[in-house]
Order: sequence, then structure tokens, then C-alpha cells
Amino acid sequence: MAWSNADRVRELARLVGIPLIEEEISEVADRFESLMREIDRLMSLDLADIQPLTIFPEEE
Amino acid sequence: MARDDLAFLSAAETADAIQTKQASPLEVVQAYLSRIERLDAQLHAYITVLPEQALTAARRAEHEVMCGGDMGPLFGVPVAVKDQFWTTGILTTNGSRLYRDFVPTEDATVVTRLAEAGTILLGKLNLSELAMGGTQQNPFGIPHNPWALDHTPGESSSGSGVALAAHLCAASVGEDTGGSGRGPAACCSVVGLRPTYTRVSRHHMTPMCWFADAAAPMTKTVRDCALVLRAIAGYDPQDPFTSRQPVPDYSASLGQSIRGLRIGMIRELQEHDDIHPQVRQAVYDALEVLRGLGAEVQEISIPLVALAGAIFVGVADTEGAGARDEILRHRAAELDRASRTRLQAAALVPAKVYNRAMKARVLLRQQFMQAMRQVDILVSATMPYPPPKHTTVTAPFTGADDVRTRFFFRRSYTGCYALTALPAISIPGGFTGDHLPIGLQLGARPFAEAQLLQVAYAYEQATPWHARRAPFANG
Repeated sequence: MAWSNADRVRELARLVGIPLIEEEISEVADRFESLMREIDRLMSLDLADIQPLTIFPEEE
Repeated sequence: MARDDLAFLSAAETADAIQTKQASPLEVVQAYLSRIERLDAQLHAYITVLPEQALTAARRAEHEVMCGGDMGPLFGVPVAVKDQFWTTGILTTNGSRLYRDFVPTEDATVVTRLAEAGTILLGKLNLSELAMGGTQQNPFGIPHNPWALDHTPGESSSGSGVALAAHLCAASVGEDTGGSGRGPAACCSVVGLRPTYTRVSRHHMTPMCWFADAAAPMTKTVRDCALVLRAIAGYDPQDPFTSRQPVPDYSASLGQSIRGLRIGMIRELQEHDDIHPQVRQAVYDALEVLRGLGAEVQEISIPLVALAGAIFVGVADTEGAGARDEILRHRAAELDRASRTRLQAAALVPAKVYNRAMKARVLLRQQFMQAMRQVDILVSATMPYPPPKHTTVTAPFTGADDVRTRFFFRRSYTGCYALTALPAISIPGGFTGDHLPIGLQLGARPFAEAQLLQVAYAYEQATPWHARRAPFANG
């Protein structure tokens, strides 16, 4: 059976130990889904040769 | 000079009036305190006002003036700081009930340096909870925009924008993680600078996200911004990340010609489908002004910039949630609902997603640095639309698409500079037909604040926007 967005968020929160307020779960799910969708837009980028470095301004 | 007229002066003009004995520090402080008492019950710019402390400091400054002491360019100027900077013996709430009783025993370095410059602290300014932005119900009062009370003044340095636009302080220091200084500056038609990352100490500035937080001078004019930046910038042994690069006299470049400077309009931000048409036109108009001043204007492409909002939230919110793990586990009920659900959602982001966002950030930096080899200054709107109504900002989200439209989109405009550690400034860039402010954003190479301020000053002096007074400031 496919999970609803709310179920998925509820389970993720349980796993990371973050208690959620039941009546706010749909809002957390909307925010989470939106973030995942936005990040999905980065999937088409070729990032294979890029390292996730910290950036300091002096660096070129 | 009438009392209110003293409060309408810029910081530089105030210091000049004090040095030439046209006004005393006590008169100036009294002028601001009187306005705060009269107007702030409605505006909610301040969380804490310090009348006794400010008056005592003003009397001391007055004595120094009479003794002919050494006065710097900000001597006697009444300032206020975002309530995110620690102040010894003074409540520092970070805009959150979690810190409603927090009274630090040390000052933030920014507060110390403002005092060393001879400024007088009027109080602590309102902000979005934990400097995150998106607060629906500010625990210490919802700040109102002096240009239109039913519109937001921007976030998270809301109180700084409001206090400057309503002339409730002469200058301020806010904080800018992803646009928290520039956004309110745009909404309130004042100046807000995000300096190069590491240019200003963050010691005892309560963090939102360590890789992006920057103390942000917010002022009535570009000249004031140059003065405040010089006062607070520079290496601080208490913040090992601060740069050791020398701090120049940022005022020295003001008034120099911008003829021949290369200005690049960021195509992906300017031509985005969702930018408000009057904001887009204001940027085109600004480019004409800069061209008229002798700058060489061109379009520049930064392909990834339209996704900067997503990258920023993917990295910064995740960092913020990680840093607040204890709060999320044990004290989340004390947070505003919007702050709580935003942090909770970010706490669930998988490591592979965070990693991808971090890589995209590096690619974005490469694209910005490549653009900066072709131009000296980048131009865009600060915000893609004018300040929305409070009711729009505080309305619950209606779904994931609504989150995207209201939450991610605008963050691309300011978040891109935070992600890339580059300096950027928002200056008054005009008004909509409904008289709502529009912010013009300029960006520059690392540590090129002098050039940034040079161009900002040239534009400011060639346009009338900075001289307009918010309707509520006359109240």
C-alpha cells in the first residue's frame, strides 16, 4: 500500500525522534514535499565532479 | 532645528550636526525617544527600548563634545540593533519565547564596535523568530510597514527596516542569512548591506545558519551604510572565521565616477515569469540610470540562480534544524507554528538531498565567479514583488505548490549571494503605482564593498527614491 505524504512525514519524524503535532502534520508534509520537489529540479545537473565544499570568500 | 527634524537626519548628518554644535547628543536622543513613544505602539519596531541608558550615554557624549574630545564620524548617533545581538544586562529575545528571559553577560562584537564608534544604543529591534523568516505571529508584536501598515516590512530584520523608515533610529545593524537584511530594506525603502561572508564578526550574534549568517548594516542612506560597515568590520579574535583583510575607508569611493564600470543584469532573475511587472520595469529603469551615468550595461546569464531558493533552503534550513535539534525534541511547542513546521520539515531531509544541495551551491558559486569575470557589478530586483499584505504572509499554506510560490521563489533573489559568500546591497529602487517600495539589488566580488557602495551611491544620488518619507513617519 502506498504511503500518503502525511504518513511518510510521520514515519520520518519518528525515525529522527522529532515529535510532531497531529493537526500540523499536513503543513509539515506540504513543506517537506515542496522542498523535495524543488531539490528534484537539481537532479538534471551534472554534479559528479563537484565536491560539497565549504565556501570562503578568498577562494576563486 | 525642530525636534522631529533631528530624527529625519541621516546618521552622517546627525554626526555633523553634533560636531558643529548645531544639535546636542541629548537633543537628538530625546527626539528619537519621543518618536518611539509616539509611534512604536503601532509599528512594533522595538522589542526593548532603553531610554535611561540612552539618555545617560547622551549626557556623557554631550560632555565630550563640550570638552572638544575626539569625535568619529558616528559620534553621538542613536542606533538600534536587531534583537539577535547579545547585549550585556539587556534582554536578548532572538524574537522567540524560548529566549524571553535571556539576559547575556557579554556584548556581541558588533555592539562593542558600535559603542567604540561613539554611537548611542536606543534599543533592541523586532525580528522574525530565531531570525528565520516566515513567522506568522511574532511573540513580541507584529511589525508594520510605515509605507502601508497592512503590508509586511519584510523579514527577518523587520524591526530594523521599520525603525529606519519611520525614523525611530538613525542607523541599525540587522542580520542577513539569506536576505534577512536586504528584504526588509527593500520592503521599507532603506539601505541594507550583506557584507562578504567573514567581513564582520559574528561573535555573540545568535546563529541561524553558520555558513551564511552575516551582520548587516541597515541605514537611511548609502553614505551611512559605508560608515556603519567601517565601524563594525574587521578581524575579531573571538570569531576565528573573520577575515584579516584590511578594512578600507568605504566612504572614500562615494562620489567617484562609475563611468566605464561594467554592470550585468542577471537575466534569469529579471526575466522570470513570476516577477511583478512593475518591479521588472523598475530594474530596467535603474539600468538606464546607470547607463546614463556612464556605466556599460549588459545582460549576464547565471543559469542556476533561479534554483538558488531551493538550494538555500535545502542547505540552510537543514543546518538550522540540525543546530536546533534539542529544541525540536523538547521545546517545539514554544515556537511559532510557522517556525516549528519549517524546522520540522527541514529536520527530515535525507543526507543525500543535503549533499546534492551542497554540491549545487558550489556550482552556483562557480557560475557567479565566472559572471564576475565579465562584469564588475550584478543587478537585479531585491524581491520579485512589492511587500505583500500581512494577511498573505500569515495565511496557512494551501499545499506544496503554495509553499513553492510563497516560500522558495523569492529566496532565489537574495539567497544566491548568501550561498556564494558574496556581498550584495539593497537600495531604494522606486515605487509601484500603489506607492509600495521596490528594492534594487547590486552584487559584487568578494570584499568589493567599496565598489558596491560607489555604484549604489551614484544611483542613489541620481534618483529621488531615498528622499521620500513613509506616510506613517509623519504621524
